[in-house]
Amino acid sequence: MVKFLKMLSISVREGTATRKYPFESPLVTPEFRGKIEVDPVKCVGCGACTRICPPKALTLSYENNEATLKYFVGRCIFCGMCAYVCPQKAITISKEFELATWELEDLYDETTHTTVKCRICGKPFTTVKFANEIRRRIENKVPEDLLNVCPECRKKLATRKIGSRVVGVSGE
Amino acid sequence: MSAVSDGGRPDPASSETTLSILEEAFNRLKRSIWVFHLNTGSCNGCDIEVLDILTPYFDVERFGIKLVGSPRHADLILLTGPVTIKTISKVVRAIKAMPRPRLVLALGSCGVGGGIWFNTYTTLGGYPKLEKILKDAGVEVDKVVYVPGCPVRPEAIIYGVAVLLGLLQPKSRHRRVPAVEG
Repeated sequence: MVKFLKMLSISVREGTATRKYPFESPLVTPEFRGKIEVDPVKCVGCGACTRICPPKALTLSYENNEATLKYFVGRCIFCGMCAYVCPQKAITISKEFELATWELEDLYDETTHTTVKCRICGKPFTTVKFANEIRRRIENKVPEDLLNVCPECRKKLATRKIGSRVVGVSGE
Repeated sequence: MSAVSDGGRPDPASSETTLSILEEAFNRLKRSIWVFHLNTGSCNGCDIEVLDILTPYFDVERFGIKLVGSPRHADLILLTGPVTIKTISKVVRAIKAMPRPRLVLALGSCGVGGGIWFNTYTTLGGYPKLEKILKDAGVEVDKVVYVPGCPVRPEAIIYGVAVLLGLLQPKSRHRRVPAVEG
């Protein structure tokens, strides 16, 4: 009985511990990492985030002359590595965590990019914005014949160039 | 409900009647739900958060949500983990043991999309891939709500249950935007 009175005095002093969550704001600290947001203005579609992402929640796919940066929240582990590596600082970490839904489709976030086609084989290999960004960064110092050429065709071109320089015959 | 036959007793043969029975059961669910915690090879992160919502700090019993020890007593399964190959038979049996309406809350990145283990050889990769196996086994699941998070926050679980019961509309929407030249 005495013990109970002791507990009563403690509970009166301490008050209620229970949070009234749905009726008050959730406990979110400044360091909290929630769903990421890709800024369609800043994103160039380089794919740095897709390479670092541990569960491959971010994927970059080329189809129908369109590059799609797909973000699947349902697989994201909220590590924030994508925001850390993004060269354009296009990815921001929001505080959003109330993501429950009954449609799996609702958990996808997509950013689409227009692609650059290879001058030789005609295959889309990079995004227009990424090509422009690279050109801006190296101040247009790229040789004219290597512009808009996919890595595989560029390899062949370079080999031909070296061959023609050594042997003295054109590779055509 | 037109499917209810005379005498107020529903005809079990008609599929519409089963639907109305299900709706009735859903209405009954609005009072309170009992949950069964099903770990399918999770790392225990989500399990600790499930434990967290039962503590006085979040205290889901104020909504009538109660943890039960058998799927036979449960209305809702809290499925955590990426469904490892070893657990498939047990998971199917546990879900089969539930009475209709069967509700599933796929918790965490693993439960929703497999998380880190989305394509390893020992796991199935989340609830969406288990769905096909359940279909083959003849087990019908009436409603599934996906709750992402790694680990899922206790508040997110409460929100997920609210979405499941139709008290709230989900905030997430499929978004497809073209990149803009800046």
